Amino acid sequence: MQVETATETPRTSAPPQRRERPARRGVLARLLTLREGSVIVITVLVAAYFAATTDAFLSWDNFKTLLPYFAPFAILAAGEVMLMINGEIDLSIGAVYLFAPFMFHEFHVAGLPLLVALALALGMCLLVGLVNGFFTTVVRINSFITTLGMLLALTGFTLIISDAQPVQTPGTDVLGGQTAFTRIFGGGTYSELIWALAIVALLQVVLSFTRWGIYTVAVGSNRIGAAEAGIKVRLVIIRNFVVCALCAGLVGVLEAVRTTSVQPDPSGANEVLFGGIAAAVIGGTLLAGGSGTVVGALIGALLLGLLNDGLVITGVNADYLNFYLGLAIILAMAANTYVGRARKGQTGG
Amino acid sequence: MTKSFGPVVALRDVNLTLRKGEVLGLLGDNGAGKSTLMKIICGFEKPDGGSMTLRGEPYEPRSVDHARALGIDAVYQDLALIDELSVFHNMFLRRELVHRPLPLLANRAMRAQTRAALDEIGIDIPNINAPVARLSGGQRQAIAVARTVHSEADILLLDEPLAAMGAKEGARILDLIARLKETGEVSIIMVLHNYVHVLASCDRVNLIQDGVIAFDKPTAETSIEELTELVVSEYRRARMAA
Repeated sequence: MQVETATETPRTSAPPQRRERPARRGVLARLLTLREGSVIVITVLVAAYFAATTDAFLSWDNFKTLLPYFAPFAILAAGEVMLMINGEIDLSIGAVYLFAPFMFHEFHVAGLPLLVALALALGMCLLVGLVNGFFTTVVRINSFITTLGMLLALTGFTLIISDAQPVQTPGTDVLGGQTAFTRIFGGGTYSELIWALAIVALLQVVLSFTRWGIYTVAVGSNRIGAAEAGIKVRLVIIRNFVVCALCAGLVGVLEAVRTTSVQPDPSGANEVLFGGIAAAVIGGTLLAGGSGTVVGALIGALLLGLLNDGLVITGVNADYLNFYLGLAIILAMAANTYVGRARKGQTGG
Repeated sequence: MTKSFGPVVALRDVNLTLRKGEVLGLLGDNGAGKSTLMKIICGFEKPDGGSMTLRGEPYEPRSVDHARALGIDAVYQDLALIDELSVFHNMFLRRELVHRPLPLLANRAMRAQTRAALDEIGIDIPNINAPVARLSGGQRQAIAVARTVHSEADILLLDEPLAAMGAKEGARILDLIARLKETGEVSIIMVLHNYVHVLASCDRVNLIQDGVIAFDKPTAETSIEELTELVVSEYRRARMAA
């Protein structure tokens, strides 16, 4: 009688050794392994400097003063980061920021309820994102040019529909009385902060834990490879253009509700654009694409807000403010790059 | 099948057949159109003319995804790896596992399967959480091959799968291909340059010259000398023309 024995085919090789990460490291060293690590360190240093040199800085009242310098830029930068990781840029966020509250006003004047008017205004922003995405990915105009055109066109369009006149934000009261609507959409003290934290958290989850996020990094890091792997590159980019425009439109409405009126002022819109992009870049997102973090953009916006607020408290002459702010941004960015290099263990460029 | 890029004719009249369970070696000079042919079969490029048949049915891939759904997957010459993403995210690129119904990535499951797949091939990659940018050329290539083999496609297109590998890593990949062949379920087209590899692992060999298949023989009926002579004579003709 024959007995059959089942033999398992031996594995071709022993499983390779796994190198474990060093278990314990200093808090600072571990912080610096984070992509956001360097900007966190710089932000803490800046906060410590202002706290040490002024009395008013470390107070709850000042924190509230700081919020409008910080929360709107965090939202703008969060959207911009998604697009910058794609290797694209949206210069029209300032124009969308300007355009959205005027659309909100137009729809409301046309007799629509507040929430419907708001939804339609954001719908128009979504459309702007689609148009930006279409011209960038299908017509293949560089996004810098596409969105520069959009910046001018949309700013001009806003001036046309508003007759260059300011309007009162729908649903708001000049005397500052709050309704449920205004409290949620920018009028409440912490409204913008809550929106900022929620949007940053949502987009960071999208970026780190969903296919959308993986594809966003893939398209920015290796566009041809991503396409070869079957990723729909155009769709990914267009989607992020839409996210970016929606963030900008929402901030426009939040700020309009907070200040109860909107000026069709193109120069203000441009400052919003610069602030948003600066926050994204300071937060550690590469202009070249492939790498970035939404949480970093939040901290970048916080750093900008702290600088702005701290310099005002320190009593810097208003004429000098932008000058110092500009220098501070370059210094912070240089320190950021230096710390980032130290983080990766490189000594030189 | 034909394909041109502007005035450049890449494929003039290619007629190629892959039988079930077969490993076909594809040879040809640089620029002969090997990669273009592979990209057409896997749905990344559209042919200008001609037709393809898959299991007796007309085959017109609309996209890479479509070809993959029909069981065709490729390792590209440029590997299509994303430097910034981890080894296991690259392994699952476009086939990511998610926690249904939530759209969140099932990273733990992807890590475990990646580890198992790499161990099975015998490729040593200590840290699968590291971005692939940190890996050597051979390791990167191994990941690209492992990704395609792991995709459960039954027609694999491998465009120079051993180009960046050392002898040991290359041998492991050839072992893997031999094992796949033994199952009889998988058919493979491999672009290769090393005739020893061709004779060792392929059933049949095709040579593309001037946009057509100029040579088609079972590997048992050819030799390194014959293959070398084919290429040398092409080189001579090219020199005469120049």
